[in-house]
Amino acid sequence: MKQFSNKYMILFSLSLAAIVALLLSAVSMFLKERQTRNQQAETKQMILKTIGIEATLDNADKLFDRNILTQEKGVYDANGNSHAEIDFYQYDCGFIIPLKGNGLWGPIWGYLAVDSTMTIVGAVFDHEGETPGLGAEIATDKFAEQFIGKKMDVRPIVLKKKADPSSPYEVDAISGGTMTSNGVNAMLEDAFNEYENLNRRVELSCSKEERKEVSR
Amino acid sequence: MKIFDLIKLPFNKNNPVTVQVLGICSCLAVTAQLKPAVVMALSVTVVVALANLIISLLRNTIPPRIRIIVQLVVVSTLVILVNQILMAFVYDVSKQLSVYVGLIITNCIVMGRLEAFAMSHKPMESLLDGIGNGLGYGVILVILGFVRELFGSGTLWGYPVMEKLGLYKIGYENNGFIIMAPMALILVGIIIWIQRSRNKDLCE
Repeated sequence: MKQFSNKYMILFSLSLAAIVALLLSAVSMFLKERQTRNQQAETKQMILKTIGIEATLDNADKLFDRNILTQEKGVYDANGNSHAEIDFYQYDCGFIIPLKGNGLWGPIWGYLAVDSTMTIVGAVFDHEGETPGLGAEIATDKFAEQFIGKKMDVRPIVLKKKADPSSPYEVDAISGGTMTSNGVNAMLEDAFNEYENLNRRVELSCSKEERKEVSR
Repeated sequence: MKIFDLIKLPFNKNNPVTVQVLGICSCLAVTAQLKPAVVMALSVTVVVALANLIISLLRNTIPPRIRIIVQLVVVSTLVILVNQILMAFVYDVSKQLSVYVGLIITNCIVMGRLEAFAMSHKPMESLLDGIGNGLGYGVILVILGFVRELFGSGTLWGYPVMEKLGLYKIGYENNGFIIMAPMALILVGIIIWIQRSRNKDLCE
């Protein structure tokens, strides 16, 4: 077998690492824009889903612009400069509240659509890297559908074992996904604190019949 | 060995899944539907073929003491590239494959071919061996994806086949059981059974 000196091995590893690093950063820069666009379309798709509109990645932009209004608020950063940040979304007959939090392995997020009485009409959740079959179950329709009919008015909704399905503030937790469920709870509490009186702060004028017509 | 055999053998006598029994994990995970199965098959083929080619080109310059690390770096780079491209061009599929694309790195077929073939063969042969093994793995994935999507969800590539045939009206129901991972293993078992009964050389 051919013998290689230590110096050769170190140089070989270093040049391999350098080539690979250059290649990967070049590709990442080149594809970034496309990937971001896909991610934004997916977010719009999720938001539309909470009010019962099934969109594809291609038509999400168009449907979103037609049905949903983004409300921004001014936020000051550490240097005192103000910039706009998404506060909540408004559809013709209610609000869509963004949720952000941390699961066991990474960020989790979701959207809750509420009507003018702060009753939830639709929900979606997603995650970056929760365990498939356990924490990742929050991204299923089965989990999200439990939120329909719950309320965001007097106290935050909690995930718990053996939740009472008739209570508007309780939802079944994920079995085997306690840490993720805790993350969802913290996220729901934050959202409650921030958006508790949203229906009294922002005027809505619509009727149930009108809403049906627009979303079709 | 004839050049043509490099492509042909992985489909039959030397199939990575049914004979070498490698890459079973992803076989169970991504075959509930046809589309992710096909994308996974193509991704693995591209990764094995290119990794084989690159390692074979470098084979005389790679110091044997660090060869596994070098192989790993090459494979990881290719997998990251595949993942980035999927995210940019077929986002929904990349979402479905999620962690499994990353797991191509640990797919035994890839490292197995590099260590057993590419380190000791010429670039052209290695490329063909990679393509052969990738496709040999892919063909099993596609068979599984086809059977599982058709009987499990009643669709093919998302097209509602069973509904169009009008089978639901006469009382046909989808078999939810076949969507579960263990059924993929049973299907692999059936494929191995058929293959061995046709090809006696494979039986011990």
